[in-house]
Amino acid sequence: MGGFFSSLFSGLFGTREMRILILGLDGAGKTTILYRLQVGEVVTTIPTIGFNVETVTYKNLKFQVWDLGGQTSIRPYWRCYYSNTDAVIYVVDSSDRDRMGISKSELVAMLEEEELKKAILVVFANKQDMDMAMTPTEVANSLGLPALKDRKWQIFKTSATKGTGLDEAMEWLVDSLKSRQ
Amino acid sequence: MFAKLKKKIAEEAATAPRSGVRIPRTISKESITSVGADSGDDFASDGSSSRDDLPAQLLRRNDQIRRLEAKLSDYAEQLRIMQKTKDKLEIALEKQQDSSIKKFQDQSETHQTSRAKMAEGMTLALEKKDEEWMEKMGVVEKEKAALSARVEEMMEQSLVLFQKRDDLDELEGFQQQELAKVKHMLLRKEEQLSQREKELQQKEAEAHSAKRGLSETGDKLKTLEQQYEESSSLNAELEIEREELLLLREEADKKISELEGKCQELQAVIRQISEDFQKSQDMVSSLEKSLYDLKTEHDALKLQQQKAAVTEEDKERVLMDLQKKVTSLERRLQGNLSQDEHLQELLQEKSSLEQSLEESRAELLVVRTNHADTVSSLEAQVSKMSCSITELQTLLRHKDESSRAYRERTDTQIANLEQQVLETSERLKSSEQQITEKEQHMEKLQGEWSAEKAFLDQQVCLLQQQSKEKSSRLEENITSLKAEKQSMQDRLADLEKQREEANSSLKQRTEELEQCTVELGSRQTVSTEIAKALEETRRQKEELQTQVGELTTSLQTSQQEVSTVSEKLSLREDDIKALQNEVQSRQASLVQLQEELEQQRAQLEQMEKDKDSQLMSLKEELLSQTQQLDGCQARISYLEVEVETLTEQLHSPAVCEEDQNGSVTVDDLDHIQKLNRELEQQLSDKNRTIKQLQQRLAELKRTLQKELKLKPEPEAEAKEKLPESRAEKTERVFLEPLPFSNLSPPTSKTLVTNTSDLNDSREINFEYLKHVVLKFMSSREAEAFQLIRAVSVLLNFTREEEDMLKQTLEYKMSWFGSKPSPKGAIRPSISGASTSWS
Repeated sequence: MGGFFSSLFSGLFGTREMRILILGLDGAGKTTILYRLQVGEVVTTIPTIGFNVETVTYKNLKFQVWDLGGQTSIRPYWRCYYSNTDAVIYVVDSSDRDRMGISKSELVAMLEEEELKKAILVVFANKQDMDMAMTPTEVANSLGLPALKDRKWQIFKTSATKGTGLDEAMEWLVDSLKSRQ
Repeated sequence: MFAKLKKKIAEEAATAPRSGVRIPRTISKESITSVGADSGDDFASDGSSSRDDLPAQLLRRNDQIRRLEAKLSDYAEQLRIMQKTKDKLEIALEKQQDSSIKKFQDQSETHQTSRAKMAEGMTLALEKKDEEWMEKMGVVEKEKAALSARVEEMMEQSLVLFQKRDDLDELEGFQQQELAKVKHMLLRKEEQLSQREKELQQKEAEAHSAKRGLSETGDKLKTLEQQYEESSSLNAELEIEREELLLLREEADKKISELEGKCQELQAVIRQISEDFQKSQDMVSSLEKSLYDLKTEHDALKLQQQKAAVTEEDKERVLMDLQKKVTSLERRLQGNLSQDEHLQELLQEKSSLEQSLEESRAELLVVRTNHADTVSSLEAQVSKMSCSITELQTLLRHKDESSRAYRERTDTQIANLEQQVLETSERLKSSEQQITEKEQHMEKLQGEWSAEKAFLDQQVCLLQQQSKEKSSRLEENITSLKAEKQSMQDRLADLEKQREEANSSLKQRTEELEQCTVELGSRQTVSTEIAKALEETRRQKEELQTQVGELTTSLQTSQQEVSTVSEKLSLREDDIKALQNEVQSRQASLVQLQEELEQQRAQLEQMEKDKDSQLMSLKEELLSQTQQLDGCQARISYLEVEVETLTEQLHSPAVCEEDQNGSVTVDDLDHIQKLNRELEQQLSDKNRTIKQLQQRLAELKRTLQKELKLKPEPEAEAKEKLPESRAEKTERVFLEPLPFSNLSPPTSKTLVTNTSDLNDSREINFEYLKHVVLKFMSSREAEAFQLIRAVSVLLNFTREEEDMLKQTLEYKMSWFGSKPSPKGAIRPSISGASTSWS
């Protein structure tokens, strides 16, 4: 029934809302990225206990963007949100070299989920404005991205506070989502 | 073995690095270390040689002792040398002290004498200078007083001058005011004159205008007269026209009468024509009657003809009957051949009948001919009649046409005549109207003319009167103006006189002014002179002030000199103090050196004692070893005895046992030392590994700490707890055992949290649950639909309950469809076989 009606809705109104998850370890800058995408401003954030969901319109495409809290205690609940996901934005703190391994293992575990088999992966090597930030290639190698198969992925260097790199990433995401349809 | 010695040497090395005598110590150190090395070598050789006899060792020890004794003697020699050097140093020190003290005393004496001299000289010079300056100051003050007195005088003079200047200014002001008044009066008079002249001109202009008005009225009169003449001429013309019109009227009357006569004639003609018409009509009627008669006759004849035709037909029928009878009779005759008579008769009858038939035919023919004749005659008559009728009709038509034409002609003529009559009557009327209008106009014009004439006459009279009055007035005015003019001229003369007077007074005033200015100039010169004098005095004053300043500066410089001299003095005193301090420090260093010497002596003594004790211990060891040896030999002997006893019992294994036991007893110490070294090496290795592991652990702890720090409480608390946790961490690092036998990478499976099983984690983060439920309730249906999974996981819903939730949400989202039966709500699943979510 729901599928039928959603298809009916999409037929009526042209575009279906794309569902995007923003995931990553705590303190990577997920909430800042979400609100940077929605209102284009840097908001002061507190650690997300739970999640934030906002509707973001980019190039006439509507996105239902879910920013899930990345703390260790609530990371197990991520997979409650995996169903019907079109794309995953995985945010990595480029300056946090110590936890890159944890980030990698979380990413790998997430990508193994059956519900996310068709989801597009966009990795944000965030906090590029920091002095000790790793380059995107370093981040990609430490996350083991080149080894990924059967997955459309791309990495972008971003800085949510400076607002750099987000537009390119969103453009790529929009193009790849359009091409997939 | 040489731990104590080594320690001492180390302590010495720690305390030693200072100035002072160093050479002997370093020598001693080297020697000791060399001894140690030798002993180490000995040990190694011992180790290698293993089970050699003790006497060799003893010999070596004796050698060592000898060497040590030799070294001791060396030390004693060194000590002696040290003492000698110390004595020398003491002597040198005393000498230095003496010389320095002497030098200091000499220097201080010379300094004090020079200082006293300097002070005396300075005081004398100061007093002299003070006296000079006092004198100078007195002179200066006197000059100053005189100058101030002069300044006051000058000030008074300047005040007086200022007052005079003010008076002069006031006088000038008064003069200017009076001059302005006079000028003002003159201007006023001139203005009045000009006004009067203007008035005169205006009056003349008025007179001119009145004359012009008179001439204009005269012109008007002339024009009116012309108009009158014109109107009278017009009147005459109009009368002529009237007469003409009357004549025209008469002519028109005559024409009308003629036309009426013509009309009567025409009417008579018309009557005659109408009579003719009536006659012709009568004829027509009679002819029509005759025609009618003829037609009736024709009809009758036609009737007769028809009758004749009818009779002819009857006769033909009769004939036919008779023929039939004949035929029948002939048949009878044919049938009755015998009856000749009859036949004859019948033939007779037949002949008779034929005869009668012929007769009747003849008659018929006659009748027919007659009839035809009559018909033809009648037809001829009819044709004749019709011809006559047509003739008559044509005649009639001609007559009608002629009568109509005539009538039309007469009618048109009559109408024309009537129109002419009407036109003429209209013309008459219009002419009469014109005449009457013209007469009226004439009358009106005459009335207007008379009225205008009267009015103009009156106007002329009035204007003449007005002009007369005006002229009289103007003459009066002129006379009065002339009088005024004369008076004004008089006034002007007066004013000119006044002006001359004023000018003269002005000249006087100007002269006065000039005088005043001259005076002022002189005063100004005086004042300038005074000012110059003042400036001079000022200059003098300034010069004096500069002199005073110079003097003060010289005083200051002298004072500075004095102060510098005193500073120098104090510096000298400081130098002396410093020298004394140096002497004291030298003395102190001497004392220290003595102390050091004593310490060194004590150390030497201690070293000697240590050496002695070492010797003693070595001797003791030797003794113990010899004892052990003795014991061992005893044991060997015992064992040999045993072996012998055993060989007696057993044959072969006794020998090797003997050897083994013997080696064990001999190499006990070496073996222990080896073990010790190995253990130490192992320990160091372990320590190294421990350090590495600790570093790794520290890294791991750091990461863990970061996660822990971010997990349970917001940043503030975390920040507070950070140092504590660090402290704890460090403690743990040192306290905890290190169970890192397996050096797996940090990406162990415990860190992957997002896939960990949720079923067993009963203690759900309450805050998280609260947030999710709140969002679930408040968000849009599309978002809430995505949240069903999270809510059901958090609240541990069964699959049925989750499906129910989904169905209700779908129902809410869709526009139609039936509400799902809330079976889950009524009958919550008690079976509770919570299915796994994976």
